[in-house]
Amino acid sequence: MNKMNAVITAIESFEGITIVSFESASQPMRMMALELDETLQVGSKVLLGAKASNIALAKGALEMLSISNCLDTVVDSVENGVLLSSVKLRFGESLLISVITRDSSKRINLQPGDHVTALIKASELSVLEIKR
Amino acid sequence: MININIQKQLQGSSGAMELNVDLHIKEHSFVALAGQSGSGKTTLLRILAGLEKAAGVIDVSGVLWQDEKKSVVPQKRNIGFVFQDYALFANMSVEQNLLYVNKDRELAKHLLMLTELSELKDRLPNTLSGGQKQRVSLCRALMNRPKLLLMDEPLSALDPGMRTKLQHDILMLHKEFGTTTIMVSHDPSEIYRLADRVIMLEQGRVIQEGTSKEVLLHTRGSQKFSLTGELLDIIKADVIYIAVVAIGQQIVEVVLDEAEASSFKIGQRVQVNTKAFAPSLSH
Repeated sequence: MNKMNAVITAIESFEGITIVSFESASQPMRMMALELDETLQVGSKVLLGAKASNIALAKGALEMLSISNCLDTVVDSVENGVLLSSVKLRFGESLLISVITRDSSKRINLQPGDHVTALIKASELSVLEIKR
Repeated sequence: MININIQKQLQGSSGAMELNVDLHIKEHSFVALAGQSGSGKTTLLRILAGLEKAAGVIDVSGVLWQDEKKSVVPQKRNIGFVFQDYALFANMSVEQNLLYVNKDRELAKHLLMLTELSELKDRLPNTLSGGQKQRVSLCRALMNRPKLLLMDEPLSALDPGMRTKLQHDILMLHKEFGTTTIMVSHDPSEIYRLADRVIMLEQGRVIQEGTSKEVLLHTRGSQKFSLTGELLDIIKADVIYIAVVAIGQQIVEVVLDEAEASSFKIGQRVQVNTKAFAPSLSH
């Protein structure tokens, strides 16, 4: 599980569904959730999580994407396997891992040092811990 | 209000322990007592029934059942008790089992009608199915219109279909008779359907109390789908890792990244977590 420190900037709730906005490494993030721990409020520090297989990558300009989390990252390393690639990304102080198909990695020609956008759907982002 | 504040030294499975609870139960509520075996659930039920001695106070809506000085005998506590193994009188008919508690023929007829047992009233218990026996036992427990209905895993000996039917009967009778019901149970579906409150015991103490969702829904942060299992294996596959986890009677697989794979040991207790948005249901 990839881990990112974040601070809550907004919470919206309706009928047991919650959308939480965060700031992490000076970038905005958003999560879709059911009812949340009551102690969470604007200003709370949390540890966010996202599975490596739930992080997609894009290079170049992005237009009109429904994905809530489009994080600016830099490729640290690319490990190409037979069918899959494991890509390490620098995001602020965190190192994220994205697992994509090797074909995709080759198609967008991922190289260390590349600026790429890490894409995470709001429903695939979780709060792992509340920092006290 | 039913106030229970009792203490008793017990020989638990892992040595001596003290049963020490301070509970306040609202009248007419349905409470489930949950927790691992040996946590003191059945003992607590037997103390409430007056079948076992303990120190402390039991106050049922202003009537003292026990304090430092006295202990009211079981027959005078106005309780109904349903045991897991039915405990019916084998030599008495269904109807006689009910009338043994109280000679009110009208009430017996009404109870047997509600639980669809009217046609079986002259049968002996050993000619009945498990579900029918437990319905008789439930009716018998209500013959003296108890203030407190105590049930010790009443459905655990029954097959799943019969459980659902009995759950319905239990809830109907609980409402019809306005009893306060305390049921020992391990079964989350039973607890979720029947109980308004769940009390979780561990080593003789209350470790959690709340609605069934508050107590039984295990979460990890905002991840609402959380199951506990044993990590059986981590297999490297290409540039990822596959963890094999035993959960209950089943085995599941979870994909891990390199950093995750190196942070777990085979044999460890682990939680399998995901968001409520990820799984899908099929039948």
